[in-house]
Amino acid sequence: MSKLNATDIQGFVLRGYNLPVGRYLFLRLGSAKKARDLVRRLLNQITTGQRWDGGKPQSTLNIGFTFRGLQRLELPLASLVTFPVEFQQGMRQRAELLGDTGVNAPGNWDSIWREENVDVWLGINGQTVEALDVCQASVQSVLDETGGASLLGSQNAAAEIINGKPTTSEHFGFTDGFGNPEYLGVERSSQPGQGKLSDDGKTWIPLATGELLLGYADEAGELPVAPVPHLLAANGTFMVYRKLHQNLATFRAWLDHQSKLYGGGKEKLAAKLIGRWRDGTPIELSPEKPDPTITQDPNQSTNFTYGADAAGTRCPIGAHIRRVHPRDAFGFNGRLIDRRRITRRGLPYGHFASEDQPVADTDDRGVIFMALNASLSRQFEFVQQQWVQYGNDSHLGNDKDVLMGSHGGHGRFVIQGDATPTNPPFVCSRLPDFVELRGGDYFFLPSITALGMIALGLVDPR
Amino acid sequence: MPNQNGSVYGLTILSPIIDDDRATPSHDLQIRAYLAQLSTREDSPFAVAPGTHLARLVVMDDVIYVGMPSCEEHLKSKYLVFESNCDGDLDTYLAGLADSIPKHLDAIWSHCVGYPTRGAADRDAFIAYMKSCQLETTFYFAAVNDKSVPATLRALQIQTAVADFIAAHQGDDPVTLQRDFIHFAAQLKTLPPPPAGSMGPHRTIKTGGHNE
Repeated sequence: MSKLNATDIQGFVLRGYNLPVGRYLFLRLGSAKKARDLVRRLLNQITTGQRWDGGKPQSTLNIGFTFRGLQRLELPLASLVTFPVEFQQGMRQRAELLGDTGVNAPGNWDSIWREENVDVWLGINGQTVEALDVCQASVQSVLDETGGASLLGSQNAAAEIINGKPTTSEHFGFTDGFGNPEYLGVERSSQPGQGKLSDDGKTWIPLATGELLLGYADEAGELPVAPVPHLLAANGTFMVYRKLHQNLATFRAWLDHQSKLYGGGKEKLAAKLIGRWRDGTPIELSPEKPDPTITQDPNQSTNFTYGADAAGTRCPIGAHIRRVHPRDAFGFNGRLIDRRRITRRGLPYGHFASEDQPVADTDDRGVIFMALNASLSRQFEFVQQQWVQYGNDSHLGNDKDVLMGSHGGHGRFVIQGDATPTNPPFVCSRLPDFVELRGGDYFFLPSITALGMIALGLVDPR
Repeated sequence: MPNQNGSVYGLTILSPIIDDDRATPSHDLQIRAYLAQLSTREDSPFAVAPGTHLARLVVMDDVIYVGMPSCEEHLKSKYLVFESNCDGDLDTYLAGLADSIPKHLDAIWSHCVGYPTRGAADRDAFIAYMKSCQLETTFYFAAVNDKSVPATLRALQIQTAVADFIAAHQGDDPVTLQRDFIHFAAQLKTLPPPPAGSMGPHRTIKTGGHNE
């Protein structure tokens, strides 16, 4: 297939910007006429997927709508009813299905997600906080001039800066952001281990475009379920936004305590939880120690399979990266997972604390998890329900993902080992909740053409 | 060989539903309403009665015409489809159903043509009726290994208990570990097997598992 029309697709969808700071604005739309005027005025500020031949911009701006937002914009009913039901319901109503219960239940979310109805997500990414301020001021003036929306709240996020350089660390100390899939037609430097396994079980090839973008064939050769008319959907996608609070004090204390019992040492225990050493080295490739030559080599850092490690003695069967991207672990050269892939965006929020700094669970820190997929129910919701909050597909019974699962003090995580003293089998039990959901929602990120249609009232499903 | 795979039996029963214009709601809807309120956990009738690995009940109204190039076809009747992966010998299994959950069976199958007048209380008539509605099963749910339901439940119980034991005793000195393990193993032997349907995750929503 030919290259995609990058100028018609929001840049946030096509690529991770790798900009160090972000701010997400949440809007409540006003009357449809004024709201459409607002979208029209923002149209030429939205960052597209066009290449940055002149270098990275100071800031980027992207936009997404909840179902309520599209209702307020008065899209024709004949279009609205064609959106997938999970998007129409929104994440709050999907809580039971997603396992967002107990401490993660909507009743415990931040007030903006609990009480308000967010209509619009505006994502600003930038080189500096000042650049975010400039972009936000420009957005604010459009809000003021059109009266099309009011600002309900905002969320800051930022990469950890070490020696003046932004990193991809998260608060638990792991290097993140290795495994985004590659899609057919999306211009990107190709990396083995991304995309999907081909029939030989060794070569990696891009996933079908329709796993990311609406209007293209997906891995089943079908068009993903999408709203009508086609032009409203094509080159658009769905995004899940989740604010995930991290209980850093609990995590550190738990790791310290467990590593006293575990024969492999603290860092290996940490690596077994995730499937990567803290620097990002996959333990499947380097089970004994982190290896910077692997993490820095795109031909190695994501290039591995689990076929030779069925027992999980190198990478535990329940390790986070093996659960959420099982590669070939379920057999059939990985074909069972090709329709369950998601593209992650997002940044940490809150203060980064080095190992020697005191921390508390109540400190406001975590990660803004944003994932893009053509089908929220088939991709994100499936991964969350079946692979994060349940273990059956991995033959792990009721066990949940060690870091992401809602354990309520009852969770269990098994590290498969062998006879070597430094790689013993180990069972972690009575797991606490390391991560808690603080809210979020499902958003539709339209193409530039579709945004124009929405702004001009041209969505016509007939 | 149809129906039997190792010690596990694949049962398919197709019972025509009574077609009676005067019945309100219709018999098929009455079955649907009854099935919809059944539990899928340990108080499910198929957890209460012995021998079911996995059972499924479906009301099949008709075959749906999906457009060209299919040809349009219709069933002569509405059917209740009962599929069960169960232990062993069919007569024993059906007798177990009749003895354990007769009220449920009558509430469901009394809407079907030819169901015995006295219902499951007439055990022989019930077994004969079910067998007369049976179809050969040639291909069925494979995720049951060749173990009986009690053996499977026992295995799950042991797996959970051993994992808990390991978690509680990691790092113990060998003497303590051996003493506690001997005690643990002896205790485990005396435990009754857990009830069927009790080992899955606790969900507040009723789904078959997957969300689509």
